[in-house]
Amino acid sequence: MSPLHNLSEETLILLLKKKNQQAFSYLYDHYASALFGVICRIVGSSEHAEEVIQDVFVKIWRHIDLFDAEKGRLYTWMINIARNTALDHRKSKAIINEKKNQPLSNIVNREEEQDQSQGEEHTKADFIGFKNILDKLRPEWRILIEMAYYDGYTQQEIAEQLEVPLGTVKTRTRAAFLQLQQLLKEYR
Amino acid sequence: MDIKAYISSGIIESYVLGLASEEEVSILNCIRKNNVEVEQAIAEAEIALEALADSQAMEMPMQLKEVIWDKLNAEKLIPNQDIEITEHSGVPSEEVNKQISIEGNKATVPLKSYRWAIAASLLFAISIGANIFFYQRNGDHENQLVQKTSLLHKQQSKLAVLQDKWNLVQNPAIKTIPLKGVENKPDYRALVFWDQASKAVYLSLEHMPAAPKGKQYQLWAMVDGKPVNAGVFPLDANEEIASKMLDIPSAQAFAITLEDAGGKDAPTLSALCVMGSI
Repeated sequence: MSPLHNLSEETLILLLKKKNQQAFSYLYDHYASALFGVICRIVGSSEHAEEVIQDVFVKIWRHIDLFDAEKGRLYTWMINIARNTALDHRKSKAIINEKKNQPLSNIVNREEEQDQSQGEEHTKADFIGFKNILDKLRPEWRILIEMAYYDGYTQQEIAEQLEVPLGTVKTRTRAAFLQLQQLLKEYR
Repeated sequence: MDIKAYISSGIIESYVLGLASEEEVSILNCIRKNNVEVEQAIAEAEIALEALADSQAMEMPMQLKEVIWDKLNAEKLIPNQDIEITEHSGVPSEEVNKQISIEGNKATVPLKSYRWAIAASLLFAISIGANIFFYQRNGDHENQLVQKTSLLHKQQSKLAVLQDKWNLVQNPAIKTIPLKGVENKPDYRALVFWDQASKAVYLSLEHMPAAPKGKQYQLWAMVDGKPVNAGVFPLDANEEIASKMLDIPSAQAFAITLEDAGGKDAPTLSALCVMGSI
């Protein structure tokens, strides 16, 4: 356990900017596993995720002075760094896969792929056993969050893949968020 | 703007998912500053994603904490402060106290430094503004200087031409003979300055187009009804400058024709441009 307890974001930011080791410790103990969860779901293997989480902490540490509390929350900022780093990592791996002529997993059929539980990198097979609050969402809403959040698709791309109008993608994404917020309240 | 419709369009969810376009983001940033509802909706969506991340947290591999801390050290991202590298389980209470006191002071210390920061930012912005202003003014002045200088040069050379002609006109020995355009060239004008003492002839093309390529203006003196070659007007000469032509001892009139470059022995009458009698 960290010697520091329940720091406010404000204090944590202040200490991080001082490059304080206890601040690092606090950051790691309180946020690493959540960031690691996000990264795992994006890169699809815990081996790659270990690489990525290290980069993420280096980035957070290096760029903490760029963080502007007026423009957002520290946790959200860190999640976004984790997501972007993981998506970049996945993209570079996808390029290597493409060169090997391996077909990229078809996102629409991902559920079936998951059931097949094959060792292919882009299936989320590794994480099937973990509790996933998203499973409780309506399937047609869940897919939108997953494609956007974990796979980095633009809403335009999602609309094309799912063959629904862009406006529908946007309003359904909102509906998905509202249901998710409700589920999270119950979860807490 | 209908804020309810804006919020229910799904734009905020696009934004927190990092999918909004740059334009959408700048609009959103503008609205959130002035609208609590939008600000609130953004915060709620962000908190939802944070809670989602919490709910999906996965246990970190062992030892990674030390690995990352070593990495930060290796990349020289830790300043050489007197922080003891301690086991993360046992931290001296001094360190904690230090942090608690920082936490306690956080309301006053940052506020003061914010004020300084705001003042410094303002000064900096003003300084940049002033720099740009003076830089632009300096640029303007340079442009004006260049313009004035070239104007001065033009006027000086015009003045030289006029002085030159004035000297000729002032000289009592010089006779000025205006040559006027013929029927089909009524606006052509030229001046012949004829020094009665030295018999020298100067020609200035006051208002005549530059000779076309391969052509040259040629001056003729009419002596007892016969044209005598008085020379070609130099191709490279400034039309307005009085150029020295061939000496003419006596004449009753002067005329200019447009001839092939180099001139001719006899004038081409159809190419007559201007003439003037004495």
